[in-house]
Amino acid sequence: MATVAARGRTRRRRRNLLESRRFLATALIAPAVLFILVLVGGPLLLAMYLSLTDAVGGTLGGEWVGFDNFVNAWHDPNFRRALRNTLLFTIVSQAVVLLCAGLIAHALMRPIRGRWLLRFLIILPWAAPVPLSTIGWLWIYDSLFSVVNWTAKQLHLVDQFNPPQWLGDPTLALGAVISVHAWRIIPFAVVIFLAGLASIPSEVEDAAKVDGAVGLKKFWYVTLPLQLPIATVALLFGIVFTATDMTVVYILTQGGPFNSTQMLTSWAFFTGIRGGSLGEGAAVSLYLLPLLVVVAVLMLRFARKVEVT
Amino acid sequence: MADKERVDVSKLDELSRRDLIKRAGAGVILVYGGLGAPGVAYGAPKYRQKELAGTLRILQWSHFVPAYDKWFDNVYTKAWGRANDTEVIVDHINQADLPARVAAEAAAGRGHDMVATLAPLPQYEDRVINHKEIVQAVTRKRGKMKDVAYRSCYNPKTKKYFGFPDSYAPDPVNWRRDYWQEVGFGGGPTSWDVVKRAAPKLRDINHPVGIGMSNEIDSNMALMALMMCFGSFIQSRDHRVKLNTKKTVEVLKFARDLYRDGMSNEIFAWSAASNNQGFLAGRLSLALNAISIPRSAELSNRDLADKTMIAPIPKGPNGRVGLEHVMHTYMVWNFAENKRMAVKFLTDLEVKYIGAFENSRFYNFPAFPKSVPNIPVRLARDSNTPKGKYKVLGTISDKYTKNVGYPGFTNAAIGELFDTFLIPQMFAEVAQGRRTPEDAARDYHRRIATIFAKWRKRGKI
Amino acid sequence: MITSREKLTSYLILGPFALVLAFPFYWMLWTSFKTELDLYDINNVPFFFGHGSPTTKNYSFLFHETEYLTWVKNTAIVGVAVVAITLVLAVPAAYALARLSGRWGQSMGVGIFLTYLVPPTLLFLPLSYVISHFPVGGHAGLQDSLWSLVLVFPSFTVPFSTWLLMGFFKSIPRELEEAARVDGASRLRTLFQIVFPISLPGILTVIIFSFSLVVNDFVYALAFITTSDSKTISTGVFTELIRGDIFYWQALMAATLIPSIPLALLYNMFLDRFIAGFTGGAFR
Repeated sequence: MATVAARGRTRRRRRNLLESRRFLATALIAPAVLFILVLVGGPLLLAMYLSLTDAVGGTLGGEWVGFDNFVNAWHDPNFRRALRNTLLFTIVSQAVVLLCAGLIAHALMRPIRGRWLLRFLIILPWAAPVPLSTIGWLWIYDSLFSVVNWTAKQLHLVDQFNPPQWLGDPTLALGAVISVHAWRIIPFAVVIFLAGLASIPSEVEDAAKVDGAVGLKKFWYVTLPLQLPIATVALLFGIVFTATDMTVVYILTQGGPFNSTQMLTSWAFFTGIRGGSLGEGAAVSLYLLPLLVVVAVLMLRFARKVEVT
Repeated sequence: MADKERVDVSKLDELSRRDLIKRAGAGVILVYGGLGAPGVAYGAPKYRQKELAGTLRILQWSHFVPAYDKWFDNVYTKAWGRANDTEVIVDHINQADLPARVAAEAAAGRGHDMVATLAPLPQYEDRVINHKEIVQAVTRKRGKMKDVAYRSCYNPKTKKYFGFPDSYAPDPVNWRRDYWQEVGFGGGPTSWDVVKRAAPKLRDINHPVGIGMSNEIDSNMALMALMMCFGSFIQSRDHRVKLNTKKTVEVLKFARDLYRDGMSNEIFAWSAASNNQGFLAGRLSLALNAISIPRSAELSNRDLADKTMIAPIPKGPNGRVGLEHVMHTYMVWNFAENKRMAVKFLTDLEVKYIGAFENSRFYNFPAFPKSVPNIPVRLARDSNTPKGKYKVLGTISDKYTKNVGYPGFTNAAIGELFDTFLIPQMFAEVAQGRRTPEDAARDYHRRIATIFAKWRKRGKI
Repeated sequence: MITSREKLTSYLILGPFALVLAFPFYWMLWTSFKTELDLYDINNVPFFFGHGSPTTKNYSFLFHETEYLTWVKNTAIVGVAVVAITLVLAVPAAYALARLSGRWGQSMGVGIFLTYLVPPTLLFLPLSYVISHFPVGGHAGLQDSLWSLVLVFPSFTVPFSTWLLMGFFKSIPRELEEAARVDGASRLRTLFQIVFPISLPGILTVIIFSFSLVVNDFVYALAFITTSDSKTISTGVFTELIRGDIFYWQALMAATLIPSIPLALLYNMFLDRFIAGFTGGAFR
């Protein structure tokens, strides 16, 4: 009898605990936070430590050298180019993505025949594993067998013997890398934009019609403001996908021609992993972090502000 | 499992099937003989050497000759394992991706017992055993190691063998006999001067010469070899940076002019596969690469293979000084679980290298030349036409093959500038007119000196 | 109703974009049926077949002489497992951050998002240490085991999903939950019976996103897996189809197409729900 009562009490206490907001919140959040702390926090701290040492290939430690690695990296012209490229790739490809995805999403909202097929084709790049689809691009931009160049040659748009080298000229190669980044992220952004458009209540649309807002005017004053929060989401993830990605550059150009398309991530890999200067590689990759944090915080703030108004 | 890995003969075309059967047969015989006492290799496991029993894990590249991997994984290591009561597990990954995995194993202090990479990796010196024992054991049986191999795996500063190269690939010049004849240079690329004079004419008939200036291994190798032919060296014998010299300016000028007069702009866009493809397409009249070019032509385009000749590196003002194309270096981790068998495996492999040499179709040249008897005879025996075209590989490997970083040793600083593609970058910037040769020599001397200083401070040079 | 002019504009915008975005796949399809001789002939018109093309040789090579199907299977297994772990960790955390905690929940949400920004280039080294010293597993912890990927991938899918789901949960009207609680349901019961069903589109979104992030990984799979029967699609394909300086282009293209098309079909089928999912999410 007594034990039953005791059991009832514990159960009640447990229930009370679960009804307590604070306890429940902690219990629900803790597993995720612990997991992230162990798997991201720990290694990140270690990477920070490495960047302050002269660690070499594969040894997770070394002699303390202070900020030497950061200073060394800064004085290396290839590093500066990598830094510049990271910004350039990210900004340009995301601008392209926003523009194209906006247009596509708008057009896809209309109930037209063949919409399903068009959407399938547009979504394809997102379904392909990036390392493999980049190989596809490598073949499309090949120095000799490029289908782009073949077509251009047939149309007599380019020099027959020395066609443009998409991966061999610094400017073109920058364009090539940007194109692949944009290509793979456009479908992602389209989906987010579609979501945004779908969420605009039809009353707003009707009201706009009554007010006589059509075409560009309607887009500018009605659709765009309502879409801003969702556009920010697309942009934020687009930025992160591009800036922290190494695969595209690594497979497409190996940073070439003459290291003119290196990004911070790939340069960190070539210096730290391939070249063996692990400490310096860690320093190079950490330069990325404050940049991203600033961007992310600014955008999250912006998004919240937009939300309020 | 065994079924999946079995060589599926029916899937190969007639030509390579015959070839394969022949080779497989040869391989079996070689291994059989190679392991000494017959019966040991194929009998039931004998537990005479109980203390050696265990597992040996090896990680290496997927060889460009697929048959080599089949032989190594399914024939050689199996037979060796039976003879030594050891289960040998061989894993492969793509050569370009090996460094990432190797770094991951080193960082973890766990992984395979040994890993093999296509270039020595001196930066892991502190994480590997001293391979001196293997070198000595093989030396006792097979005489001295080749200088090019020695200079690739030994650190004179720390007196440590940081790897054991079982083999290397000589780096010949591949040239199209028909094109060269057509422009009146039937003798082929005998000297860099001839190359320079023939190149414009070859380009006029739409068959440019191709020496890569891109972020990839073939460009690195070709350009460093070209430098040495002109007497320009990255480091001196005692590992001081020696790049900023008149010779370097000279070779940069030469390469710039060669590009302007006789190449096309595709060389800046190349990946490691590009010169092979350019050659297989019949576009290029000359390329610097290992024998993967003629070998793949023999499989897919026999006519083209017949017209493809291989030759030693052209002669420059400083003579013929070429590089190895691949220095296949095994590293036994100091955290390996089965160091003892790893050492024995490498010793046995090297002492009887015939199987590897033949099955790699002459790609793997033994680091100890006496490990494969009668190399010239074997080379001459290759059945591909024109008969005897591979004979020259013997000369190339004996006379013109040096290590990366020659006349010094291959060290960690050389490794880093190699992997960050500084040499192709220097050449490309000059060729595209973005820098003067003088400026480039000066600037890259400074950059490379920074790398050397870094590694010197760490006590590795 | 939309006018025919609007229709036309739509086609004019979508047509070219669809062509450009899908072109690489068309080209892969074409290339995958070519013979070696056909592929490497510069005088050929690349849009036509010749020299023995089209051939299915490349596909039979892929299926019979490599372990392609194993790699596809492995990728799928890892994907499903990672999605499961992600949901288990991210859904409760996101709900708690959105509903149960006040201001600090907001900041913590941002904090969790920030971990998503850590560049993976060098993280794989310390992570390699973690997985190979993992207390369970073979001779070297989880090294060379698919479980290593199952363990590591959530490190980027969880932050991503938590953050996304937070938005969804915020968009659910509080009144719904309060009504349930007034009826005497416990918090957990409310969560399972009211909140989760409503946010199903959000959960679906997260599933698809996490899965595609897993498929896209390159560095981790490369560093952690070397045994052929545990490889995922990207590492396996790179090992067997790029040998030294020889690329097996046709087989590479085939290997890319095979998973992409069904995945795209699947994503497209879910897209309607998916859009609904997104609508609730993000910054509401």
